Amino acid sequence: MHDGSGLIAVQNLTKQFGPVAAVQNLSFTVSPGSVTGFLGPNGAGKTTTLRMLLGLVKPTAGTATINGRPFHQLGQPGRVVGAVLEAQGFHPARSARNHLRVYASAIGVPDAQADQVIGLVGLSSAADRKVGGFSLGMKQRLALATALLGDPQVLVLDEPANGLDPEGIAWLRTFLQSYARMGRTVLISSHLLAEVEQTVDQVVIISRGQTMFYGPLEQLRQSQQKRVLVQPSDHNALATALRAAGVQAIEQLPDGRLAVSGVDSRQVADTALQAGVSIYGIQEEQVDLERLFFQLTSGQYAGHAPAPNPYQQQQGGWA
Amino acid sequence: MGNLVQAELRKTTTTGLWWGLLIPTAVLALGWGLATGLLGQFFVDFAASGDVDEVSDFLGVTPDQWKVSLFGMARAINISTIFPMIFGAMAISGELSRRTITTTFLTAPSRVHALLAKMLVYVLWGAIYGLVIMLFLGIGVVATSDSGQLPDAGGWVMLTLVCVLSSILMTMFGVGVGALIPNVAGAIVLLLLYFLVIENVLHGVLAYLEVPAVIGFLPNGSINGLTGSVSVDLFLSSAGVVPTEIEDVLRAIAGAAGAQDWWLSGIVFLGWAGVVFAGGWAVTQSKDIT
Repeated sequence: MHDGSGLIAVQNLTKQFGPVAAVQNLSFTVSPGSVTGFLGPNGAGKTTTLRMLLGLVKPTAGTATINGRPFHQLGQPGRVVGAVLEAQGFHPARSARNHLRVYASAIGVPDAQADQVIGLVGLSSAADRKVGGFSLGMKQRLALATALLGDPQVLVLDEPANGLDPEGIAWLRTFLQSYARMGRTVLISSHLLAEVEQTVDQVVIISRGQTMFYGPLEQLRQSQQKRVLVQPSDHNALATALRAAGVQAIEQLPDGRLAVSGVDSRQVADTALQAGVSIYGIQEEQVDLERLFFQLTSGQYAGHAPAPNPYQQQQGGWA
Repeated sequence: MGNLVQAELRKTTTTGLWWGLLIPTAVLALGWGLATGLLGQFFVDFAASGDVDEVSDFLGVTPDQWKVSLFGMARAINISTIFPMIFGAMAISGELSRRTITTTFLTAPSRVHALLAKMLVYVLWGAIYGLVIMLFLGIGVVATSDSGQLPDAGGWVMLTLVCVLSSILMTMFGVGVGALIPNVAGAIVLLLLYFLVIENVLHGVLAYLEVPAVIGFLPNGSINGLTGSVSVDLFLSSAGVVPTEIEDVLRAIAGAAGAQDWWLSGIVFLGWAGVVFAGGWAVTQSKDIT
């Protein structure tokens, strides 16, 4: 049986669909007690990875385990892991309540649990309506209710914000965080960092089926650098003075300004004063997480470690 | 396992498909039953008119005692069990095309468990369909037949048994095909084409080639043999000594030309259902659910 640790472990996971390598040698672990974001652009292999973890797709190589076991060895999987997946279907003629009762009996929980989770996701008033008439957001809520039926220790959600209105997204955010705070494991995928930025504590960023970054979101935030954009009276004099002060990352921008990285604006201004250079304009710029994410996941960096310098010009790429 | 069986049962009772298919099944069985009685009556009247005494001499009983209803009933069961077969065909193909199979597999200990639970539930439904077919068929036949043409109590029991058995087997066959062909329309069209057209053409060809015995080993030939052989046996048991040629004609009328004994026919068809289900199981077991 499984060890009850709540740990998700993906090791050297690879999936080949014919000539297409959907996932290549992917490794990461997800610990209980936190919400982990699984990020990457469309087509990066997120859905395939989650489906391999849930035993729906057979890996070409590598392993994916929950509580130390592959999915099919979990015994009663519905009580260990709950999942909301894209393209997870409902019978259009079945009511929401009956849908939940079907799977409540499959998992082996009492029918009362079906009514409880339907209330939890706010669908009580629509419980006896046929799912065929549900909006995308309502279906997403019902999918979440289904995932919660077995009161699982691990929750896996593939793009759960799809179709949810802002109110629904805010509710989901609070719900997932409190779920994780109970010591449970939450893994949530998205193609938008901004969408989950306020929800997740840890991130796994993949692109083209490979891991690009894996660690606390805080660490990713700290790796952002500031740069100073300055408009001096004499470019060469200021650049020379900065270099003399040990600043190497100086770049000439097309608009005539200098971009100086690794220093703050005060230091640049002081150096300019000492060098007798006038400053006509100065500005600090911070690269946001989304741009960092974009650079991590663009094709240009496929196969390399996270880009150390996020200021490099984008050259083509895809995301 | 009991949990999964309950879940699968709930899946079938929480949508309208079971009665949506059960109503035409009952109507068809009733219609065949009525027609059987009327046609049988017409035939018996014709035979009793005196011009066909030779036949009655062969059979050793007077025409008003011929249990002609048996032949129509065998045919009626063969046709009506098409519906439970379609019901079965939608068991897995329906889940695959609606993508509900994802949740089914996520909540089952393994795919084998899920498929076995499904099969058990559809065996139950096959039995229910079989009982309904026999009930409405019986009502139709009794309403339009003279008592002399009806089977005795033992005959009714035997017919009910093979009707339920035939319906269960047809449902299982459908479940297997639905697992092999993950497309509802595709599975149903193929089943209908095969059972209503393709194999009938094959039967004609095999009879022309003078190897009718092969028919009894084909899917439709064997399932028809299950009911057809029982009805011929029941008919003959109340008739006198019958020459082989006449017996062959009677088998053809019952839709069981070239068929084996009823129990062997049942085993042959069970084999077919098993092969199809094993194929569907193998496909489903290794399938990537994307």
